[in-house]
Formats: sequence, structure tokens, C-alpha cells
Amino acid sequence: MSDTRIIKKRYIFMTVVFVGLALLLVILPKKHASNELKPEQLLQEINDNTRYLSTDEVADKIIKADRYFRLIDVRTPNDYKEFHLKGAINIPLDSLLNKDESGNYINADILNQDLYINVLYSNGTVYANQAWIILRRLNYKNNYVMKGGLNRWIETVIRPVRPPQTASRKEFDIYKFRKAASMYFGGGTVAVPAAEDNAPVPVIKKKASGNEEEGGC
Amino acid sequence: MGPLFNAGEPWGLVTALVIGIAFGYILESAGFSSSRKLAGIFYGYDFVVLQVFFTAAITAALGLVFFDYFGWLDLSAIWVNRFYVGSTIVGGAIMGLGFIIGGFCPGTSACAAAIGKIDAMLFLGGFIIGVIIFDAFYPLYEGFYKADNLGPVKIYESLGMDREVFLLIFVVFAIFAFWATAVIQKKVSEKSNKY
Repeated sequence: MSDTRIIKKRYIFMTVVFVGLALLLVILPKKHASNELKPEQLLQEINDNTRYLSTDEVADKIIKADRYFRLIDVRTPNDYKEFHLKGAINIPLDSLLNKDESGNYINADILNQDLYINVLYSNGTVYANQAWIILRRLNYKNNYVMKGGLNRWIETVIRPVRPPQTASRKEFDIYKFRKAASMYFGGGTVAVPAAEDNAPVPVIKKKASGNEEEGGC
Repeated sequence: MGPLFNAGEPWGLVTALVIGIAFGYILESAGFSSSRKLAGIFYGYDFVVLQVFFTAAITAALGLVFFDYFGWLDLSAIWVNRFYVGSTIVGGAIMGLGFIIGGFCPGTSACAAAIGKIDAMLFLGGFIIGVIIFDAFYPLYEGFYKADNLGPVKIYESLGMDREVFLLIFVVFAIFAFWATAVIQKKVSEKSNKY
């Protein structure tokens, strides 16, 4: 009889310990759950190039009016006013981490989501890359970088250079696409105004078929 | 504190061996090398399996969450098994069937074989034959085996619950299960004593 009483006491003791510990965890103030990316993983992601989109890919997305594609201009508001890509949102690099009164990042809705593909760009690649690193550190996903920035955009999409006659078929295909894109974006001058949303949209095919004059082989 | 076991490291295997022996010792101490005791859970006369595993689960869960809270352990770095819906259900059913027919689960059969039980040795033999058959016909069911991968889901996450609140509910549920199984066990043994 006394044996069972001891066992019963033991069970009650264990019950109190378990429930007490679990209650303690509920009551204890929440540890700030750090959602940030580990430095090792960040380094690994910096070293692989999957974050980059070429200017051609960006141009193709804009022309096709991909609904789930969004451009983020990380330059200053003045630069943005002077020229920006069609449909781009301006979030300057230095205001990336701005917070509202309750301490939440004001840009989190745009930059931390899983519906759109955000493509960051600046004049070169450096500022967009810096913005990307900060966003990855915050563990925000679906953000990419336009490689070469607006400088490469001008070189490739706005003023494409005709490849030499000896170039491969592929290069001519790219050139044809860029030529067409250049027309679409109103190329020719560097001071290109941002195309309006209601501008007439010429029909452009990415790969022009058939035997056009540029044919290289 | 680094991981105790690293795959591919020779000393990791030694650590695994030591942990394995400790695990076997505890299984044997809990009486898990007796298939009568193990099968008791299905017939309602012995619930020690449920009690031991529930105790282990809540002890480990509380320990892990506390360790995480104090920063001794990075819970996010711990591997969580992927949840393959179909293969989990079918595999669980096969495992349960094998358990009730053979009277052992894989770990306890090794334990019982080690203390010289012949039925456990036969069980282990069947277990090895099963592994060979599974391997031989793997391409047949590979698609099903790998289908519906929900990733490393956690119950509290899929319920949209706080981890700590879920843990409290789990602990209370475990204690309720201890109490309920004790009542059932008492009733079943009273009934069998009558005859």
C-alpha cells in the first residue's frame, strides 16, 4: 500500500514539474526570434549568381507585361524623377530600412512577399547589390538584381550594337531582340523618358523567325 | 556545442555506437525487449510503451525549447524530417501491422535479440529480408515514395499556433493520456482477474 502511495506521489511530482516547466515557457517573455540569415548562408548566396537577371530578361518581362514582375529603383528620388524604367517603384537604398511608428519596416509589404518577382536596379550593379544583401540578411525572398544596372540597359537595350558579321546566330538573335526592344522603349537618345503605361505597344517577338537582313550564317 | 554526430567522420560513428548502446540499455531497462509488454498497448493490459515514449517526447521537447531559449542550441539548425503524406500513411500502417504481428518494433527487436530471444532474431531476419525486397523493387514505387512532399512541417506551425502554447497543450495531453491509460489498464486487469 505504501509502495503505491510513493509511486503516486512520484507521478504527481513529475506532473507538477512537467506542467510547471511548460507553463514557465508560455509565461516567459518571448525571446526575440531572429529571422535573419546566417552569415555563412549569406556568403554562399552572395557567391552564387542566381540573383542576377540580365537586361534582356528584364526587357522581355516589361514588354510581355508580366503581372508578377516588379522593378524596384534603389537610386535617389531625383535620379528616379529624371529617368526610370517603366513601372518601377522608387525605394532609395538609404530608406530601405525606414520604419513606421510601430517599428515595422515600411517597405516590408513590397520587399517581403512571395507573389511578385522584385528586380532591384541602380545605375551600375553596386547599389542594387547592396540593397539585395540587406534584404537577404532580413531573409526576404523573391528579390533579384538587374545585372549591370541602367548603364548596361542603355548599352544593350536602348543602343544595341550590331554584332560583327562573323558572330553566331545566337548573337544575332539577341541583337534582333534588342533592336525591337529599343524601338519599344523609344531608344536612340540617352535621356529616355520613362515610357507611359498607356503608350502604344508595338508587337514584338523575342525571336524573330525567318530570313531577315541581319541573318548571320 | 557542436553536433555530437557528423556523418562521414570516423569518430562520429563511435559516438553513434555509444548513443546506440545507451538507447538499447534504456529500452531493455524499460522492459521493451518483451514482446508481451510491447503488444500490451494493443490489448489494453500494458501501456508502458505509450508512457515511456510520451515521457521521452515531452522531456525532449521541453529540454530543446529551454536550450533554445537560453541560446545553448540553435533549433533552426536541426534537421526536421520531410513529411511525405502518402508514404507516411502507408509506411505507418505497414509498421503497425508488423509491430502487432511480430511483437517488436525494429529497435526493440535488436534489443531482444541481444539478450538471446529467438523470436526477436527471427524478427530481425525478416526485417533484413524486407529491406532487401524494398530495395529490389524500389523503382516500382519510387514515385509514390517521394510524392506529396510537404517539407519540414511542424504541427504548431501548420496550426498557426505559438510553439510554447502548443507544447503546454501537448504536455497536458500526455499527462491526460497517462491517467487515462492507467484507468484502462486497471479495468482490463480487473476483468482478466475475474476469470
